[in-house]
Formats: sequence, structure tokens, C-alpha cells
Amino acid sequence: MSRSVLYSSSPLLASKTPVWRSKFIVAGVALAFAGLAGRAAYIQIFGNEFFQRQGEVRFARTLELPANRGRILDRNGLILASSVPAPSIWAIPEDVEASKAQLAELARLLEMPLADLNKKLGEEDKTFVWIKRQVDEPVAQKIHALGIKGIYQRKEYKRQYPEGETVAHVVGFTNVEDRGQEGIELTFNKDLAGKAGSRRVIKDRLGRVVEDVGEQVHPVEGKDIQLSIDSKVQFFAYQKLRDAVIARKAKAGSVVVLDSTTGEVLALANYPSYVPDKRKNLTGEQLRNRALTDTFEPGSTMKPITVAMALEAGRIKPQTIIETGPGRYNIGGFTISDTHNYGTLTVEGVIQKSSNVGALKIAQKMSPQEMWETYMALGYGQKPQIQFPGAVTGRVRPWKTWRPVEQATMAYGYGLSASLFQMAHSYTAFAHDGQIIPATMLKSSEPAVGVQVFSAENAHAVRRMLQMAAAPGGTGQLAQTVGYSVGGKSGTAHKQVGKGYATNKYRAWFTGMAPIEAPRIIVGVMIDEPSDGNYFGGVAAAPVFSEVVQQTLRMMGVQPDMSVKPQITTQAVEESF
Amino acid sequence: MARLNLVLLLAVLASALYLVRTQYESRRLYVELEKAAAESRKIESDNERLQVEKRAQATPLKVEKLAKERLQMRTVTPAITQYVTYKDEPAAAASAPEGAKP
Repeated sequence: MSRSVLYSSSPLLASKTPVWRSKFIVAGVALAFAGLAGRAAYIQIFGNEFFQRQGEVRFARTLELPANRGRILDRNGLILASSVPAPSIWAIPEDVEASKAQLAELARLLEMPLADLNKKLGEEDKTFVWIKRQVDEPVAQKIHALGIKGIYQRKEYKRQYPEGETVAHVVGFTNVEDRGQEGIELTFNKDLAGKAGSRRVIKDRLGRVVEDVGEQVHPVEGKDIQLSIDSKVQFFAYQKLRDAVIARKAKAGSVVVLDSTTGEVLALANYPSYVPDKRKNLTGEQLRNRALTDTFEPGSTMKPITVAMALEAGRIKPQTIIETGPGRYNIGGFTISDTHNYGTLTVEGVIQKSSNVGALKIAQKMSPQEMWETYMALGYGQKPQIQFPGAVTGRVRPWKTWRPVEQATMAYGYGLSASLFQMAHSYTAFAHDGQIIPATMLKSSEPAVGVQVFSAENAHAVRRMLQMAAAPGGTGQLAQTVGYSVGGKSGTAHKQVGKGYATNKYRAWFTGMAPIEAPRIIVGVMIDEPSDGNYFGGVAAAPVFSEVVQQTLRMMGVQPDMSVKPQITTQAVEESF
Repeated sequence: MARLNLVLLLAVLASALYLVRTQYESRRLYVELEKAAAESRKIESDNERLQVEKRAQATPLKVEKLAKERLQMRTVTPAITQYVTYKDEPAAAASAPEGAKP
């Protein structure tokens, strides 16, 4: 019993296949191909943009090209501030795998206690922790060499200030985001910062850049700023100031050195100062740029200005006789007095001896308006036009509100206030043949053009008086230098405390110029509260002036205009005979 | 005809493989270029850093500190000048004190 059918005789083979079946298959395959073609067309033509974008998202990256912050240079091109790489160390706490020894080594390299490090790495729920920002490059390399998993570095830059505390107040500093916070860093932040660029690249699986796509936006590098500061002059100014402040047991002090032909600021030093790289535990005392931000009553340093304006108005001549006896003068219920009774003085003598009574008598020949206008022309009561943040205006009241006694006290520097910078700047009118010239922090080589305030002859006459004041018989003898003729005026101002004047707190001033016949520099010195007993401007501030002038002129290559011998001669004579 | 097709097919294959190779080579070279550029940036910034360090070591303040502390030097003042005079001719007194103004 067999139900099997032989293949050859299978009835199924006998039946003829219908044609539609093969056509159906062909149609089916054709349809499938049409589908593929359609899809391909969709991807390549209609949806192209979308797919391209999606592709790019997966392998193209935009890299930021950071711009380097510009450097700050002194007038000779020496670096005052520059950015150096300082990688920041960060970690993903839960990924960190390190042996105890490795962690200890890491803590040692970072100069932080191991406990602190462990605490930072202990925060398991965080996915990002800064361990330390801006470490030095060599340290970062050593940390990299440790090869701890989960510890990463981010490239950052930090500012370095090789000159340290000497120029701290001028240059200022930046914050951790590399933005200027103080000084030149703040004023010129925009120029220094530059502009970051970017580029589009394709990265491979290993994160290597394999191709550039699209346009590259080049970064605009920050500009270098060249200051008018001479770092050597700056150093000497700082050094002499520091030594003087310490020796006089003073609270603080400032020095300003101006080039009297170009108006450039050659040095601007303050003490106490700070190291800009290490800004922990800074006090306002250290941070303050006193020369520009603190205003005081300038005291006797104002007298040459009083005399100059009276000369200019034609009320006096250098040889006009002024009666200062008996050394006291009553005005509006106040008594203004001199330290000695100088009797009859010439105008020159008034400056030389620094007679208050003489100065007020000269001022009385002027109207308040005339005085006020001269003060304004010399920059008092106005914000100094200088590229620096925080410069203050000082105070000169409108002349209409002056009482006679105020007009008298202003003649010798009380009742109005100015910063040391304003004070030194106003002396450019004497040094620059009667012109007050604009001051600048940036290097310039052309002689400045100023506004004529006094005539050249009167400026010359005042210079002669300043020279007498700094010569034997004057109040500022200690301002003399070896080799260079100097002229200047000392000032000793009682400090204002509350509503009145403190009897035992002083500010010592000295402002002057050298060489006196054709001044090259103006130096202003202020010592705040000298408390070793030597509080007179001629004793506390004049020696600083002398040393700064001597060093600066020598450095500038100015030929000595005085024979060097005389001073040595006098001493040699004393010793040898 | 068939032979020509075969030749063309081989040519296409060879060209395709060559293209792959070139592409690979170009990417490899690009990576190297990138590396070199990064190296150059690093060297540049190292240079900058070292210049700053060099300057920091040579600032007057640093020199002064070293001179005072390590070399025990003092600032000169006219007070510590030693005057040398000849026995019969005090040379210094000879010349007129020109320029010494009152």
C-alpha cells in the first residue's frame, strides 16, 4: 500500500504555472527597489539637510581658540605682567581610584592638607569638584605623571607679576576669570583681553581632530600695553619710600615721578604695598593707591602756586618786600603764625623760609575768583585726566563761598585738598615754562603740548625760588643731590581728625624738580604720619626726593649740571684739616 | 566586451582602495599637524612662562633682597665715603666750588 507519488509523475508538475505569478514576483522586487530608490532620494535630496546636521552633531565639534591676554610692559619693554598657563585641577569624585600613597603625593604637590583633599574627593554625589585652581605648570605636569584616574586638568591662564610689590598699585591685578580688577589691568581690560576665536572640526572615535570643516574664526590676540613707567625708576622710588616710611615710623607714603617734557608718569609708588600674585589677607591699607586716591591738604607745597599767580597777575615782583613780622597775623578771629618771626622778607624769601604770614599777605593781593581760576587751570578740584581707575578730584570750594580767612589759609595749603598726583602734576606748570601738560601712563616720545597758565618768565622766577628753598637757608636743604641742581618746596600739614586738626599728626610733603634750569623730572613725595619726631616735610620727605631724583636722572642719562666736587670738598676739608 | 568590463571593474576597485588609503593618510597627517601645532603652542607658552620667570629672578627688588640677605651688603650712603687726601696738597679743596649756589 503505497500512497507515494513518483516525482516524475507528480501531477503538480503537470499543471502549468500561471504567468501572473512570475510577474507578481518581478513586480514585488521592482517595488522593493523603487522603495529603496525613493528612500535614497529622500535622504540625499529632500531630507539632506537634516541628516547632514545629525551626522555633524555626532562627530563635528566647535573648538574655542582662546586669545592670549596681552602683556603689560614698562617703557623699556620689560615685563610687568604676563599670562602664563596655570592648569586647574578638577575631579569626578566617584571615579577617583588612587592608592593612599598617590593621594598623599597629590596633596603634597598641591600644598594642601591631605584631610582637605580627602574631604573634596569624599563628596560622592557631586560629579565635578575643583581641587585647586591655577597651579603652576611644572606642578601640573607632575600631577599628570601620577596618572590618577578621575583627576583631570583644565587649561587656564594666570597672570604673573615679576616686579611684585614695587609696581603693584600701577599694574593692578586680574581675578580668577582673567578679568582686570585694579589699575592698568582694569583700565585697559578691553585692549588686553583680545577676542576668542573658534573653529569647527571633525573628531574621530579617539577624540583626535582629523579634519577642519567650515570657516575658522581666528582669535584676536590681546594687545600689549606699554606703560610710561620705568621699572628701575619705579624700584628706586619704592625702595627709598619704603626705607623712609620704616625709618620715620610712618603709616604710609607715596612717590610720584613725572617726566616734565612729555608728561609721562615714570614712577608711581605707594607703601605699604602688596604682592599681586599672593592676594590673601589683603587690607585696604595695602591696596590703596594713595598717590591718586587719597586727598589731603597740601600745606606749604601750595605756596609757590600762590606766589606764581600773584606774579602772573602783576601784583608782586620776586623782589617785592613783604612784612611778615611779628610772625603772627589776625584775621577773622583766627591767628595765623609762622614758626619764627622772619621780619621783612622778599617774595623769594617767603618761599625760601616758608612763611605762612607772607603767603597770606600775597594772597590778599588777589581776588578769590582769580585764585580759584588758577587752581582750576592747574587741575585742582578736578579729576586728573589720566588712564587710571579711582583717581579722585580733591576739593576746592567755589570762590563765592570763600570767607577771607579761607582765602588766607588756602594761600598756604589749608582749606583745599588734593592728591599727591595732582600736586606733582600742577608743578609741571613751573617745569614746562608755564604750561600745564597732560599726564599719561602710556609711553610717548613727543614733548607734550600744554595750556599756558603762567608766563615763561614767571615760571622761571618760581623755579629760582624753589631752588632757593632747597638750598642752604631754605626749608628743604635735604633735597639737595650730588651733581644735580634741584628746586622744590617742602610742606608739613597738620592732619585733619574729625572736625579739627590733630596736634601731633602730620603729613610731610615735598614736591620739586631737577635739574632746575631745564627740568627733566618732577618728583612728589608724601609721608603720612611720621612719628619718630622728624615730621617736617624738609626732614621726612626731602631726603626721599633727593635720592629718587639722583637715581632717576642718572638712569635717564642726564648730565650733572653741577660740579660734583663742592659737596665732597666741604666734607673733605672738614675731615682733613 | 566582458574582458573590458572586467578591466574596468578592477580599475574602479583599485581606485576606490587608493582613495581609502589617501583619505586615511590625509587624516593621519592632519592629526600629526594638529599635534605639532599643539606642541608649538605649548613651547610658545613655555617660552613666555620662562621669560617671566627669568624677569622675576632679575628684578631689582629680588637682587636687593639677595644682596642684603645672602651677601650681607648695605646701601651706600655718602656717610661711609672714605676720603683720601695728599699730605701737602689737599686736592679736593683746590678747585673753586663752582655751581654751589646759595
